[in-house]
Amino acid sequence: MAILVNKKTKVIVQGISGKAGRFHAESCLAYGTKVVGGVTPGKGGQEVLGLPIFDTVWEAKKAVHPDATLIFVPPPYAAEAILEAEDAGVPLIVCITEGIPVKDMLVVKRVMNASKTSRLIGPNCPGIITPGECKIGIMPGYIHQKGKVGIVSRSGTLTYEAVWQTSQLGLGQSTCVGIGGDPLNGTSFIDVLQLFQEDPETEGILLIGEIGGEAEEHAAQWIEKHGTKPVAVFIAGVTAPPGRRMGHAGAIISGGMGTAAQKYEAFRKIGATITASPAEMGLSIQKAMLHK
Amino acid sequence: MNLHEYQAKKILKRYGIPIPDFGVAESVEEAVRVGKELGLETAVLKIQVHAGGRGKAGGVKFAKTRAEISSVAKALIGMKMVNQQTGPDGVIAQKILITKPVDIAKEYYIGALIDRERAVPILIASPEGGMDIEEVAHKWPEKILKMPFGFDGALHSYQLLRLTKFMGWTGEEAKRGAKIAQGLTKCFIEMDASLVEINPLVKTPDGEILALDAKLSVDENALFRQPELQAMYDATQVSSQEAAAKEFDLAYIAMDGNIGCMVNGAGLAMATMDIIQLAGGAPANFLDVGGGATKEKVSEGFRIILSDPKVKAILVNIFGGIMNCATIADGVIHAAKELHIHVPIVVRLEGTNVEEGRRLFRESPLKIQTAEDLKTAAELAVKAAQKNRKID
Repeated sequence: MAILVNKKTKVIVQGISGKAGRFHAESCLAYGTKVVGGVTPGKGGQEVLGLPIFDTVWEAKKAVHPDATLIFVPPPYAAEAILEAEDAGVPLIVCITEGIPVKDMLVVKRVMNASKTSRLIGPNCPGIITPGECKIGIMPGYIHQKGKVGIVSRSGTLTYEAVWQTSQLGLGQSTCVGIGGDPLNGTSFIDVLQLFQEDPETEGILLIGEIGGEAEEHAAQWIEKHGTKPVAVFIAGVTAPPGRRMGHAGAIISGGMGTAAQKYEAFRKIGATITASPAEMGLSIQKAMLHK
Repeated sequence: MNLHEYQAKKILKRYGIPIPDFGVAESVEEAVRVGKELGLETAVLKIQVHAGGRGKAGGVKFAKTRAEISSVAKALIGMKMVNQQTGPDGVIAQKILITKPVDIAKEYYIGALIDRERAVPILIASPEGGMDIEEVAHKWPEKILKMPFGFDGALHSYQLLRLTKFMGWTGEEAKRGAKIAQGLTKCFIEMDASLVEINPLVKTPDGEILALDAKLSVDENALFRQPELQAMYDATQVSSQEAAAKEFDLAYIAMDGNIGCMVNGAGLAMATMDIIQLAGGAPANFLDVGGGATKEKVSEGFRIILSDPKVKAILVNIFGGIMNCATIADGVIHAAKELHIHVPIVVRLEGTNVEEGRRLFRESPLKIQTAEDLKTAAELAVKAAQKNRKID
C-alpha cells in the first residue's frame, strides 16, 4: 500500500520549462511516475518531453487531473506556486525549492493548515518516493527497493545514505518522505508517522532528524502515545556548534535548544532504537525490527 | 545575516524608534570629528562587531572629557574581540559608534522573532532589560511577555495595552512605548528580519524612552528582495574562508579539528562531521557543496578547506543523486593537481555513475584513498590525519 503516492498517482511539474524542472520531470518519467503535464506561465500550449504545458495549475487540473504537483520554482516565486496549487485543489504538493523566505512560509503555512484539499511536503526537500511505483522528487531512483521500512527525514543525501543501507540489507522501503530542512514546512514527522502507523506495508520506521527546532521531540512524544511499530533514529549534528546555521535554514541550535543530544534523549526516553552513527542507520532499524 | 548596531539603529530610527544621535568612525580623526559634530562633552564609544558581549570584553568605553574621545577611539578601533560568541579567531572592530551618554532610570527588553513552533511572528518584552534575555527567561519566566502579531506587522490595541501594563508604563510613556513596539514589529516584517532586538530600551530620569542598543538579523533567504540590507553585508566579520565560501555559494563553517570535510547535502555533511568524531577524530569544517556542484565549485571548496593550516587530512563524502560521481571525481582530481595538495585525501563516493567516479580515482596518479562505506572512510581519514600530524 505504502503512503501518499503509488503507481496510479498522476503528477504535474510546476516549473517544468526550467533546467531543473525538465531534468527531474524526465527522471521521474523514466522511473515510471505518471507525469502528465507541466505548468509554466506563458508557455501554455507548448509541449516538453511529450507532455502538455499549461499556463496555470487550474488549467492543468481541469485538463489532466493531477493528484500531485512537483514544484521547481525559484525562491522568489515558490511560495506563490504552492499557494496556486492549493487554490487549484491539487491534493499533494511537493516543493523542492530551497531558499524560500521565512515570511512567505508564514502565509503558506496558514493556508495549508486551513486547506480542505491539499497537503504540502517541503519545501527544501528531495520529495517523496514509493519504490517501484512512484517517484516525486530528485532522489536517485535506483538506490531504492520495494520493502518494509518507512523512512522520514529532514535531509536529502543523508536520506539516500539510509535508503542505500536498507536496500543493501534487503529490507527495502515502503515509502520515503523528505520533509525538508527548513524551519517552517508543510508536513511534520508526526504527520508521516501517523501515515506509517496505518500502512500495512510499513513494518518499521527510520526517522532521520537534525539539530534545530523541536520536531523530533514532538515526534518522540507522539510515538510514545500512538506508535506501535519499531522505530530507529539518527540525529545529525552532534558536532554542530551552537548558534550557526548548518546549511539547512532550520538546522540551528538557538538559546541552547534544539541540540542533537536533547533530541536523542527524547527518543532514548521512549525506548526507540538509537544510532549515533550514520553508517549504521540501516543496521539499527534492522535491529529494532528483529527485537519487536 | 547580521547587521551592525549602527546599521540596525539607522533602520529602526526610520520606524519611529527614538535613538540618541550617534556617529560612526573608522579612524581617530573621524571619531574626533563626530564628537565635535554631535557637540559631545562626554561620550560612549562602542565597537561595531557582529557579536554580543562587547561590554564585558571591554568594547564599550566611556570618554569622560572631549579630549578623551580620541584616546578611547584609538584603543577601540581595530580592537580584536574574542569571546564565546566570536570563537577563538575573534572579530576585529573596523568601526566604532560614538554617542552621548544617557542617564538610565530603568532598562527594558523588547524584540521580535519568529516562533518556529507556532509559525507566527512574536513580540517579546520584559521589564528586565540590560541582561541576557535568555537568562531572564530561565530565572523569571513570568517577567517575559510573548505576543504573536499579524503578518503585516500590526499589533492590536488590546495587545499594546497589555504590553504597556506589563512594562509598567503609564500616561505619556505608555503612548511612547506603544509607538516603539509598533515601529519594531513593522520593521521586523518589512525588513524580512529573523530577529529585531532592543536591549536595553531605557527610560531616562526625564521619562524619555530610548533605544540604547539595537540588533537586527535578516532572513538570508530574503536578501534577494532586500537590496539595501544585502549591501550592508560585512565580510570582515566572518573568517576569510567563510567569506570566500559565500562568494561561491558554498555553505562553510569553521570548526576546531584537523580533518577537512567536503560533502554534498547539509544533513550528510553534519553526519560526516559526526562520524569523524565517532572514529576518534575532529572535523575542521562543515562544507556543503550542494546539489549542483561544478568542477569549479569543488575546486574552490578544496582551496577553502586547505587554506586552514590546521587541516591534516580531507574526507570527501559524496552521495551522488543529481550530482554525478564522475563530475566530483573530475573536480577533486583537478583541484588536487592544481593546488598541489599536500594533505592525504580520502574519498567515499556513492550514487549516480559511481563506477566511473571510482575508476577515475583509481587511474589518477594522485595518492587518493577511496573507501566504499562511510565508516571505513571516516576511519581512514582519522588515521591519515594522525599520521600526517606526526610528520610535522
